Amino acid sequence: MKKSSIFGIVVIAIAIAVIISTYGSSSTYGSFTEAKQSQSDLHVIGYLDKNKELYYDAHKDANYFSFYMKDKKGNESKVVFTGTKPQDFERSEQIVLVGHMTGNEFHASHIQMKCPSKYTQDKVETTEADAKQGSI
Amino acid sequence: MNIAYQGEHLLPGQLGQFFIVLAFGSALFSTISYYFAATTTNKLDTSWLWMGRIGYFLNSISVVGIGSCLFYIIYNNLFEYHYAWEHSSRTLPVYYIISSFWEGQEGSFWLWGFWQAVLGNILIWKAKSWEKPVLTVIALAQTLLASMLLGVDILGARIGSSPFILLRQALEAPIFSRPEYLSFIKDGNGLNPLLQNYWMVIHPPTLFLGFASMIVPFAYAIAGLWMKRYKEWVQPALSYSLFAVMVLGTGVVMGSLWAYESLNFGGFWAWDPVENAALIPWLTLIGAVHVLIVYKNTGHAYFTATFLTLISFILVLYASFLTRSGILGDTSVHAFTDLGMFWHLVVDVAVFFAIALTLVILRWKELPISKKEEETYSREFWMFVGAVFLALSCLQLIVVTSIPVWNAMFKTHIAPPTNPVTLYNVFQAGFAVVVTLLAGITQFLKYKKTDATRFFITTGIYLVFSALITGLVVYITGIYHLRFVFVLVMFGATYTLLANTKVLTDAFKGKIKLAGSAVAHIGFGLMMVGALIAAGTSKVISQNDTGLDYGADFAKGNNPRENIMLYKNEPVKMGDYTVTYFGDSIKAPNHYFKVDYKRYGANGKITEEFVLKPNSQANRKMGLVSSPDTKHYLFHDLYTHVSMAPIKYDDETQADAGHGEENDDANYNPPVPHEVKVGDTIPFRDGVIVLEKLNKEAHVQNIPLAANDVAVGANLKVISHGLTYDAEPVFMVKNGSVFDFARKVDDAGLKLRLSKIIPEKDKVEITVYDQPESKKAYIVMRAIEFPYINFLWTGTVIMIIGFLLSIFRRNKELKSV
Repeated sequence: MKKSSIFGIVVIAIAIAVIISTYGSSSTYGSFTEAKQSQSDLHVIGYLDKNKELYYDAHKDANYFSFYMKDKKGNESKVVFTGTKPQDFERSEQIVLVGHMTGNEFHASHIQMKCPSKYTQDKVETTEADAKQGSI
Repeated sequence: MNIAYQGEHLLPGQLGQFFIVLAFGSALFSTISYYFAATTTNKLDTSWLWMGRIGYFLNSISVVGIGSCLFYIIYNNLFEYHYAWEHSSRTLPVYYIISSFWEGQEGSFWLWGFWQAVLGNILIWKAKSWEKPVLTVIALAQTLLASMLLGVDILGARIGSSPFILLRQALEAPIFSRPEYLSFIKDGNGLNPLLQNYWMVIHPPTLFLGFASMIVPFAYAIAGLWMKRYKEWVQPALSYSLFAVMVLGTGVVMGSLWAYESLNFGGFWAWDPVENAALIPWLTLIGAVHVLIVYKNTGHAYFTATFLTLISFILVLYASFLTRSGILGDTSVHAFTDLGMFWHLVVDVAVFFAIALTLVILRWKELPISKKEEETYSREFWMFVGAVFLALSCLQLIVVTSIPVWNAMFKTHIAPPTNPVTLYNVFQAGFAVVVTLLAGITQFLKYKKTDATRFFITTGIYLVFSALITGLVVYITGIYHLRFVFVLVMFGATYTLLANTKVLTDAFKGKIKLAGSAVAHIGFGLMMVGALIAAGTSKVISQNDTGLDYGADFAKGNNPRENIMLYKNEPVKMGDYTVTYFGDSIKAPNHYFKVDYKRYGANGKITEEFVLKPNSQANRKMGLVSSPDTKHYLFHDLYTHVSMAPIKYDDETQADAGHGEENDDANYNPPVPHEVKVGDTIPFRDGVIVLEKLNKEAHVQNIPLAANDVAVGANLKVISHGLTYDAEPVFMVKNGSVFDFARKVDDAGLKLRLSKIIPEKDKVEITVYDQPESKKAYIVMRAIEFPYINFLWTGTVIMIIGFLLSIFRRNKELKSV
């Protein structure tokens, strides 16, 4: 067999591995109900329940933030985030959480929110927060 | 309905719009003329060539004209224009007007077009026989760029987005039905505080020069295929590729340095889609540079060289589609929002892709692809392997970054990985191992054929040495805690460093030609070492173990608590340091928090002390925006940023000053009176207060005392957390009435009154108000240590020097041919 054919096969194998691993490591968008059944982390999209308490008290714990979110199916759950309250959280229009259910609380490791920009109707701002510093 | 609007300055916008249309028209004219110039069979007819040139010059002038008009509008705060209103404000300093110029999509398109115009002119001057076909391609790219700015309606669809659109055209609001609406628009939105940074002044121009220069090797490759000059295009393309790779690389690292120095995500690289978008074409073009050299020296790898050169520019366009079309929406915070140009951007990619693909297919049979196999022990074979691995690493970036694109194409609903950073790190580290090892090994191989025995001996010796050094470094820095693949990267990078240092010493002995590549590889190796250690062993030193117990479940999640609470003037132990938030300084719009870091030696003495000033901006429009401050050591950095602070919005500070005194007591715990003699000590929660003496001649500002009036001051010394403050509350009898003037010691959270004088006991009554914790000033802070990050930055500089040396070398070869 020619050397270049062997190398070609190796390259194709790696390319396939890349694609499969991407698909394998990709997550799903789900609801809180699905999160309860799922063992792994998933993405939940929803809206902040503005009638319920948004709790962050730096004096008691600078790394505890909790709030209530309704997912797209209308189910509500308490969400806990280990970190500070992201700025302007109250204004958020849509929230994307990454995390998992622990008991009846959703523990988010990543919060991304979209805020309606105050000044332009046609533009939406996004911000995000991570519980943990990215590590390798 | 026609309204005669008052106070608008329409001329600069109309002039600018005229220049946009002219830029588009002239670029199109230039493309067509150059096309005919390139295809005409009459060698003596230069009329097409001249028309092409005139078109291109006209385009360049128009691009400068667009820029001047836009700058005039922003500089003069003409907020009737949406772009000025959206991106600038009156308070913005002049040098940041430059940043606001390219904050928006239109401005960054302009920047791209500007550099492309400059490069085109250089090519008209330098390219000689290549001018006609190369400029055809560049003028076409210039046409498409100008079309992005057109902003005109054709057949009911808006083509492009003009920076000269008026505010009243861009937004719909009742206010715009009033002729004098402009008098209500006092100020613009302003520039995002994060972008008010000198990096934002120089980073985008560098990055866009990098993007723009990627077209030159592409244009040469196309020209080579088109004119059937299959071999000749390689040499000039090589020089320009080196230039593009150098500039784009600089731009990418600048972006990362900017993120590290002034953004608060706590690192220098986050694999954000926008960062990836710039890295993707860089990787393929680096691969292209290597195979171009292979082809030049041996005649092998022709197709790979052509393919990587062509794909690099197409990936630049794809990257601009990713970041500008809004498709990344949910996955990136940094991408631009959609300006309704989705399909326009798709067309841009498709046009150039189709041109490249068609030419390759048409010329396939004529391509000088060598039938012979490379030798196993030859440099060209392993350089080729390395280039392919660079392309594979790029493939992984594309596949993962493009998940939203796959969703859109296949109507799927896949979410990005929950931990993309780890996924990227592991994969890219794997590719980095191969690439760094090859960057070392190929140095010991010769083109064509190498003596295998000698090769194995030298390679072996260097491999053993690298393994020893790696072992030592891995042990000292603690990399062995990470996945094994990162240890291998360290090994590969060390090997690159050693092998290329050998080449460099040879270069000094006479083979000076080789210096460029050796220096660039050394720089790359150092970057890898720096990035690996800094990212892999960075340590959050503000680890917080306090806080209420929210239940065992919560603690079990093993989430690190990375933020630490600092009350003003209360020292907290954090890692090796004792940190104290001790003061503020406000330089509008920034609020600087002064944080003192102390380190104590074994004997309890202070061995080191410094102050860091992370800052926040409480901006009405953008929220609280924090910037870190970093202490740089030679071998590590200490990075600090404020994640939360109860500071007031910029416009609130003044309104607050007029608050009445009566409310003030509510900010304190119930007062506690103490009867004391001179010399007595009053304890309070955070320390003690000593009554040093009574001052019978106290003065209160603006209150003159008559003969019968009395004013007594109590000289108090407050000692709290090792710091001492003085305060003198005053007791006064004036015109028979009794007053007292409280004094505040904000830094200790105290308010003190001399509330009574009791002559019969020779005592006075001091009333102490102390602030409950919740009212005291505090910051919530995060601190991270980045070891050896300086290797990353110095490595970059060295790599750039290496590229420069290589460009000089290739240019010399170009002249000698």
